[in-house]
Amino acid sequence: MTATDPTTAAAATASTAVLAARIGSFSFHGERTPALRDIDLSVRPGVLTAVLGGSGSGKTTLGKLLAGWHRPGQSGTFTGSLTLAGQPLEFRGLEDDPRINPSAWSTRVGYVPQDAAAMLSTVRSTVAEELAFGLENRGTPRRDMLRAVARAAEQTGLTALLDRDPATLSGGELRRLAMACAVVQDPWVLVLDEPLASLDAAGIIQVRDLINRLTGAGTGVVLLSQSADGLARSAGHWIILDGGTATASGIPRELIRSAELARTGTLLPAVTHAVPAVRGRAPEPEAAPVLELFGLGFGYPGTGDADGEPLLRDLELTVRPGEIVAITGPNGAGKSTLLRHLNGLLRPHTGEVRIQGRSIAGIPTGRIAASVGLLFQHPRDQLFERTVLREASFGLRRLHGRDAAARADEALEAVGLAGAARTHPAELPASQQRLLALATVLARGPAVLALDEPTVGLDRHGLDRLDRAVAAAAARGAAVVLVTHDAAYARATAHRVLALDGGSLREG
Amino acid sequence: MRMPYTLHPLTSLTAAGCTAVLTTAAGAWPLSLAVALAAVLLAVRAGAGQQVLVAASAVLLPLGLSLLMLHGLFFPEGRTVLAAWGPARVTAEGLAFAWESATRTGACVLVLLLFAFTVSTPDLVAALAGRGLPPQFGFVLASALTLLPAMAGRLERIRAAQEARGLVLRGGVLSRLAAVRLQMVPLVLGLIEDSGSRAEALDARGFGAPGPRTSYRQVADPPAQRRLRTTLLLITAAAVALRLVASWPAAGPA
Amino acid sequence: MSQQSLILPATGTGTGPGADCAAGTAKGRRNRRLLELAGAAAIAGTYVFLVLTQPADIANGPASFSALVALGGFLLGAVLLIAAALPVLPTSTLVLMPVALVLNVVLGQLMGSTGLPFYFDAIGTVLIAVLAGPAAGAATGALSSIVWSFFNPTVLPFAAGAALIGFLAGLAARGGLFRRFYLAPVAGFVTGILAGAVSAPIAAFVFGGTAGLGTGAVVSAFRAMGDTLLAAITKQALISDPMDKAIVFAIAALLVYALPRRTTFQFPFVRRHRVLAGKVPATPEA
Repeated sequence: MTATDPTTAAAATASTAVLAARIGSFSFHGERTPALRDIDLSVRPGVLTAVLGGSGSGKTTLGKLLAGWHRPGQSGTFTGSLTLAGQPLEFRGLEDDPRINPSAWSTRVGYVPQDAAAMLSTVRSTVAEELAFGLENRGTPRRDMLRAVARAAEQTGLTALLDRDPATLSGGELRRLAMACAVVQDPWVLVLDEPLASLDAAGIIQVRDLINRLTGAGTGVVLLSQSADGLARSAGHWIILDGGTATASGIPRELIRSAELARTGTLLPAVTHAVPAVRGRAPEPEAAPVLELFGLGFGYPGTGDADGEPLLRDLELTVRPGEIVAITGPNGAGKSTLLRHLNGLLRPHTGEVRIQGRSIAGIPTGRIAASVGLLFQHPRDQLFERTVLREASFGLRRLHGRDAAARADEALEAVGLAGAARTHPAELPASQQRLLALATVLARGPAVLALDEPTVGLDRHGLDRLDRAVAAAAARGAAVVLVTHDAAYARATAHRVLALDGGSLREG
Repeated sequence: MRMPYTLHPLTSLTAAGCTAVLTTAAGAWPLSLAVALAAVLLAVRAGAGQQVLVAASAVLLPLGLSLLMLHGLFFPEGRTVLAAWGPARVTAEGLAFAWESATRTGACVLVLLLFAFTVSTPDLVAALAGRGLPPQFGFVLASALTLLPAMAGRLERIRAAQEARGLVLRGGVLSRLAAVRLQMVPLVLGLIEDSGSRAEALDARGFGAPGPRTSYRQVADPPAQRRLRTTLLLITAAAVALRLVASWPAAGPA
Repeated sequence: MSQQSLILPATGTGTGPGADCAAGTAKGRRNRRLLELAGAAAIAGTYVFLVLTQPADIANGPASFSALVALGGFLLGAVLLIAAALPVLPTSTLVLMPVALVLNVVLGQLMGSTGLPFYFDAIGTVLIAVLAGPAAGAATGALSSIVWSFFNPTVLPFAAGAALIGFLAGLAARGGLFRRFYLAPVAGFVTGILAGAVSAPIAAFVFGGTAGLGTGAVVSAFRAMGDTLLAAITKQALISDPMDKAIVFAIAALLVYALPRRTTFQFPFVRRHRVLAGKVPATPEA
């Protein structure tokens, strides 16, 4: 059942590596093209290995395969070998292949998903019990369990939060809890999927500290990332993943300027926004405004800040055709709330919203949608059709009659999804789902384009498409309002950057 | 939410279950009414009065009206006719039957809701697992109870996102059916996809592994409450046996 | 540190690559089969007993005896079925059970908002049965009734009926009835007949009537013609339930068709029994 004569090369790496993978191919059930092929990877104790690649390059699939989340045979067909601590397992994609025991495997190789909430059991009411969940399932005696929970909490800085309900944690705290759930088993190898995504500066420092401590203690860490950021640059070894296969591997210094890395769409934070995006001419100031907000006031019932002031107050904004306005501000300042007023999903308590000179009061959101396109933070909620093409065509016939099909094709072309017209939207990688949602908005040719955090999760190719789509919309005379936490992106893209602060907008 | 005095979750479960069975076995409306009132009082004292009453009325009002219409107007077995319009006859026996049925069900519903809204789910799950019930049962129970309240928010997000894409909700069964279909697909898809990665996470955290388990959470179970549970179970068993024996001859083949 | 093996023991023949639930000895399998049979026997026996011993005259008030027998017998059956299925279900199926319950409640309410006079309270159960098979369907049906009773205790006694619906939906899926859209409602219709008949004694003896005004009106009509309470409720169930289940099966089929293939093919049951049409793993359509 175990090794059938591993190659000498694999045996050599296995002698120093705690985990070695030789992936011939891995395909999900029912799919013809393999999700992964021809990847060799070995993880040495105490070394940070970074797997870099753009969106949809197969990073997550690789991480889950290494950690026993995707199990050969159960999740898909795998040919190749996995060698953990010198014990090789050969897979030939047949029924009598060894079957990985996920419970035992994961005590050696831990995986922390990008969506930290997916790690949690959802059935434990405190952080401490959530941490103990894996230990309980393995029958760890209670005294050892208490000690292990305390140690993992101390390592991840969760000690003060042990009695909190996991559902009330912030994004950064949740990420550390998910990491603690893996660390509590004291694994030899830890696979981290985009561990810094959507964390604030403080959260990033804490997670990087933790990773340093883990490698210092001899844990092999595998970083999956679509950004060659500081953490990735501190890695001892890089593997570049493109289209499910490893196109290059070596030390960061040699690969950072390689053509292989450039092709993948991996973000290089230092250079991404150095060149300003293609930005059209500034709009003509005398043109009639497309979007006007007058004295807007709004607060959620039962909330309001310390002084009982509403979230938005006396907010004024005028956007002319072809103008791109970026709105920045801290979390909770009301940026998304403001955007939802533009198409009537929220109605102001005071003041008025005018689109193309007409007030939208009393008009249902579904009708305002003809002139205002809103892209949400979570694209999945916005998609509901069976194929990408049907998704883009939804509701177009009523607006554009015979032009509907051409407009849908055009919008898909604009975001680079023309080749995926018959794919199921849910089978697209997250960043392409976001681009598809953008296409559904573009296809309607709205006069106002409102984008909520459009850059999150996009790789460089995705950002290029987004930039071009925004510029094209502005060029045909649409007003673009985008909300972002990324100040550099805001400056590079917009004609005007406004800060939402204290309930109203001011020049940023 | 919690009771002023701490009951072990199995004690409150046993108490609620036994009370419901005893009320059913007794089949006497004064007892049913007393049990129902007691349940409401306890719920109010525990601070869950409103929740229990809202949930109970959602169930009991349609049931009560249905029983009143059914037995109040049409009860062929009835002999004491109080009023008659064509085929409909109001009979004393029919009204009594509706009253008996409604009070019995009402008592059981209120007692069980009192339990459901005052018990601490984590304690209950820990207690059940400690009694050798498969941990899977506790998982399904706790997971469903955490998922359900989150659904309203999720549906609202989907609806908002779809309206922003030009979905107009109109009257008419057909167009509403179409709208419901569009909402269902992302909801079902999202839930099933989430559960796929949740299964992988649970397996990685040893949930699928066989063998003994331990518990981090400890629930105090004083001996007095154990004795109380045993007593309650014995009384209930005796009452059920008595009822079965007493009614057996009367329940011969029709 | 535990010393578990990194790989699971090899299973015997007849288990597909995804069958991680097949762990267990032949003895364990026999015990589970016995539990399943005992559960089914408890449900069937209770039904026959209730029909044979139904009180000839209900003028003296609701029959406590029949209520106790109905409650005890059906709940015992449901618990035995859960006990047989639950410990061996793979985690991937288990995590679907809370989802099924939530869908039963939420989709039931959504469909209720369309104003159609049906219950629609089994969509989630049927969906899971189609994806994961009869055993999972039966356990899901019974278990979701138990959890639902935390909000509405009156669904608890119907656990056996819900298990039957899940089981039959799983059988229909295994038999290929979900490969063609028009066959699903037919399977639902047949399921409705059986489930309605099994649930009628609960309504008659435990609750003394039906929970809704619409169904109550139908029962009233039969009572006006002189039927016994059980007969009237059974006839009402035979009118509403097949229709209801036909629609529920159709909705479940539409939802399954709308899922991406990567999602449905996660389920070994879907792959092994070719539950969905034209989607064979070896030769996927273009």
